[in-house]
Amino acid sequence: MNYELPLSVEEVENYFKEKLEDDVNDFKTEEIKKGLKETGIELIWFTVKRERFRDAVKALAELQTPHLSVASGSDMGENIELIYHFQINYGYPGKEISINMKVHLPKEDLNIPSITDIVPGALTTEREKQEFLGVNVTNIPDSRRLWLEDDFPKDKYPWRWDHEGMEEMSKYVHSEDDETFDKPIAKYPRKKEIEKKKNRQDTMEEEKKKEDGEPDE
Amino acid sequence: MSREKDTTYEVPIGPIHPALKEPFLIKFKLKGEEIVDAEPFPGMNHRGIEFMGMHRNPMEVIPLSERICGICSIVHQHMFTTATEHALSIEPTNRARYIRTIMCELERIHSHILWAGVAAHEIGFDTHLHFTWKIREKVMDLLEYIAGNRVNYSMWTFGGVRRDITEEMYPKIFETLEYYENLYEKLEEIFLEDPSIKLRTRGVGVLTKKDALELCGVGPTVRASGVKKDVRIDQPYAAYGDLDLDYVIPSRYGFENKGDVFCKTVVRLKELLQSVDIIKKCVEQMPEGEITSEPKKAALLNKLGKSAGEGIGRIEAPRGEAIHYVRLSEERDDVDCWKIRASTYNNLSTYAPMFMGEQIADIPLIAASIDPCIGCMDRAEIIDINRGEVQSYTKEELHELSVKKTKQITKGGVE
Repeated sequence: MNYELPLSVEEVENYFKEKLEDDVNDFKTEEIKKGLKETGIELIWFTVKRERFRDAVKALAELQTPHLSVASGSDMGENIELIYHFQINYGYPGKEISINMKVHLPKEDLNIPSITDIVPGALTTEREKQEFLGVNVTNIPDSRRLWLEDDFPKDKYPWRWDHEGMEEMSKYVHSEDDETFDKPIAKYPRKKEIEKKKNRQDTMEEEKKKEDGEPDE
Repeated sequence: MSREKDTTYEVPIGPIHPALKEPFLIKFKLKGEEIVDAEPFPGMNHRGIEFMGMHRNPMEVIPLSERICGICSIVHQHMFTTATEHALSIEPTNRARYIRTIMCELERIHSHILWAGVAAHEIGFDTHLHFTWKIREKVMDLLEYIAGNRVNYSMWTFGGVRRDITEEMYPKIFETLEYYENLYEKLEEIFLEDPSIKLRTRGVGVLTKKDALELCGVGPTVRASGVKKDVRIDQPYAAYGDLDLDYVIPSRYGFENKGDVFCKTVVRLKELLQSVDIIKKCVEQMPEGEITSEPKKAALLNKLGKSAGEGIGRIEAPRGEAIHYVRLSEERDDVDCWKIRASTYNNLSTYAPMFMGEQIADIPLIAASIDPCIGCMDRAEIIDINRGEVQSYTKEELHELSVKKTKQITKGGVE
C-alpha cells in the first residue's frame, strides 16, 4: 500500500501494523475537537517492543523527517515507561498527528538503543533520560551528564520512586510534619502518601454509608 | 608545523543566563578567529521543577508552572492546563479559548520586541535597545490591565480562565494594537533596511533547512530556514483553528529562506504583525458565554483527586514548539509524571551548525538569534591549550568586540 502525506490516523495505525506486525500493540487513537469550527487534534498512542523500537523509528523516518518533540519517562513500579513523542504531517495545516511511542523497560534490564543516527536531535533528550531515570541508552554518542551537577550522587535518579530515587536524600530537607516550614517541598514517603489517600477515601465511604444507612426521622 | 596544526583554543561562555529556563555555558573551539566547534552545557540552574510538580496536586502546580519562565509564563501554564484537561477530558469553554489565544499572542508581541532589542544591543545599537524596550511597555501595560499582573498572569484554570476580557476593555486593546501597527513600519526600517544591521546579520549564523529538520529545531529559528513548522497551524490549539493563519517564512515576503540572523529577524517582525491581526480577529469573533467550565473549585479538586489519565499539551511559544506530558494516577493526589520541554531545549542542538566558521565577535549575536536571551552572558575564558595560559573575557569585553566589529564594517559610521 502506498502512503502519501498527509496521512490520516487510520493510515498511520495501519502503516505501523504492516511494518512491525505483532511487535506493536495497544493502539489508542484520539481526536479532540476544538474551537467554534471544531478543528480536531489527532493523537495516536501505541506500545512497541524494545527490540523493534529502532525499526519503528526507521519506519517513521521513511515517511517524513521525524520531528521528536521529547521523550518523557516515568517509573511505573516494576518497569520504566518511556514515551517518545513524535509529530508527523507537519507543514500540512491542521493535519499534524502526534505519534506517541511507548517502550517498557523492565527494571532488571534498563537498556534502550539510541536513535541519534536516525534522529540527530534526540541526543539532548536521551542524555536527560540517562541521568533522571537511570536508563542506559546503548550506542549513545555522548553519555555525559547534561543537567545534573557533577557532585550529584551517581546512583540516584530524581524521577524514580524506588530506592534509587530521591526519597532518602530529600525527606529530611522539608519534613511534612515540621511546622517550621510553611510548605513542604516533598511529601515523603510516597507509600505514606498513598496510604493516607486510601484512608481518607475509606473514611469518606464509611461516612457516606452511615449517612445513607441512617433512617429518616 | 605540528604546533600550528594543533592550535585550537577553547572558549567557554556562560554560565549565567537567567532569561532561560536554565542559565548555560557554551564552550567554543577556535582556530584563530574562526569557530570550529561549539557545545552547549545547560543545567547550571536546574531547579527540579518537574520533581517539585510531582509532589503537588495539579491545582498547586498551575502557579508553579508559570514560574518556569520569566518571559513565557503563559506558555507553560497553558501547556500544563491543557495536558491535564486532556488527561481528565475536561472541555474548556469557547470563550475561554478565545481569551487564552489573546493572552498567548500578547505575550508573543512582548517576547519578540524584547528579542529585537537584545539583538540590536548585541550589535551595538543601544538606541534601538532603548527604543524597543520603551515600546514593549505598552503591551506590558495592557497585560497588566487585563490580568492584573505584569509578569506572572495567573489567568489559567482547568476548564477555562480566571478573568474575563469584557467589552469595556476593548478600546484599550484596540488602542494598543493600533500603536503597534503604526510603529511597525519604523521597526521594519530599523531592522530590515538599515545597512549596518544588514551587514552584521546577513549570512551570519546560517542554519540550513536540512540541519533544521534533522535536529528537530522549532519556532522562528527553523522557520527562517524555510521549514513549515508551527503548532498554531499544524495542530491548532485554543481558538487558532477558527482563524486562517499561514506559516510566516521569509520567502512569503520576498526574502530568501537562508536561515541566517537576518531571516530570523524577518520572521519575528512579521509574526508581530500576525499577532496583532490574530488578537483583532479574536476580539471581534469572541463568543458569549462562561469563562470556565469548572466554576466549583471543591468539585474540581475532588475530580482531580479521583481521576487517572495521561495527556499532552502542545503550544507554539514565542520561541517555538513546546510540550508538556502529564500523567495522573488514582492512588496519589499528586501529579504522577510531569515532563516539561521548552523550546530552547530543542534549539540547543542547532547551535553547533550555526556557529561553525563564524567569528568570536559574532558569538553574542548568533547565540541571541535563537532567542535564549543572551542579556546576562557573564564571562568568557580563552584557554590556549598549547601554552596553558588562561585569558579571560568579561561579558563587557566580548560585547565591546562585537560593537567594534560593527564599527569596522561600517567604517566608524555607527555610534
